[in-house]
Amino acid sequence: MGWFDFWVIFITCALTMLACRVLPLFLLKGRELPPAVIRALGLIPPAAFAALVTNDLFDPLMFKAGIWPAAAVLIAALCVIVVSIKFRSLVVSAIAGVVIYAILLALPL
Amino acid sequence: MKEDLRASFKAAYPIMLGYVAIGIPCGILSESIGLNAFQVFLLCLLFYSGAGQFMIPNMFLGGASTGSIIASVSLVNTRQMLYSASFAPFSANTSKGLAFLFAATVTDESYGVSIRKFEEEGWSVRRALFVNLFSQSSWTLSSVAGVFVGNAIDIPLEIAAFAMTSIFICLLFTQKLTSGNVIAAVLACLGVVICKLLGLSGAAILIGALFGVVGALLIGRVRRGEEADHGMV
Repeated sequence: MGWFDFWVIFITCALTMLACRVLPLFLLKGRELPPAVIRALGLIPPAAFAALVTNDLFDPLMFKAGIWPAAAVLIAALCVIVVSIKFRSLVVSAIAGVVIYAILLALPL
Repeated sequence: MKEDLRASFKAAYPIMLGYVAIGIPCGILSESIGLNAFQVFLLCLLFYSGAGQFMIPNMFLGGASTGSIIASVSLVNTRQMLYSASFAPFSANTSKGLAFLFAATVTDESYGVSIRKFEEEGWSVRRALFVNLFSQSSWTLSSVAGVFVGNAIDIPLEIAAFAMTSIFICLLFTQKLTSGNVIAAVLACLGVVICKLLGLSGAAILIGALFGVVGALLIGRVRRGEEADHGMV
């Protein structure tokens, strides 16, 4: 990638990112918000995490190459759910997820 | 200050470890399209987006035009608006400068950690900013290191990236089990699947999450309405 393309992509993406990160907070900050808006803001975390997880796990073409290795991702995710509920720890969940997924992918299936 | 730093580090270190695992491959990939350490450093400092910094080289390698790279990356990052909005109530009494620095350095992962911490006593925007800066330092150092390492080491990205998925799973399944939260999560999940089936993968996270929030809000309103009706009888 040349310098010109780099600068165009870098500056534009950095500015749109900054706007998305900063504007909503400053538009809502310090205002008396109606109860429905406060309820909506409280629903963002479960909705966002569910969306992020689904985005990582689901791909319309995931089973095109057969049930395995696509099923490995889903089995690893199920294991991480159990670990998360039991330990309630981000780092334990992350390490367990990587180890379990690596083992499943190494299985001669 | 020292207490703040300690509390923030304790909250941030799982993210920092995850960022080492995916930052190095991100640096390696960036180097493969001819970006140097300074360019990667600039991206980490002022753009700071894992998803975006993987998309740029991948799309470039796929022959995408500059315009389509910008449009796709910006679209994927619109989900940040949700995080920004959901932090607003906690920043009411924060100075503009601090609120700006904090908002400008939020990622999926640091959002997840801090939004949970804000429920606890003693958490502040300042601590949340430190979580962001610890995470960003780890991301920046790892990505720049990846440029220098080049192809000398081979990290299976698919497996390393599962660390982030696992963090999101943990954040999701440690949410309070209220009916509103469950409905929002299930609908968001459904929304993402539908978006991806329709080929709208760029905005899938934003649209899916909005679908979850709005759906749960409407269902909650109907249910409260029914309860009110019963109350009158």
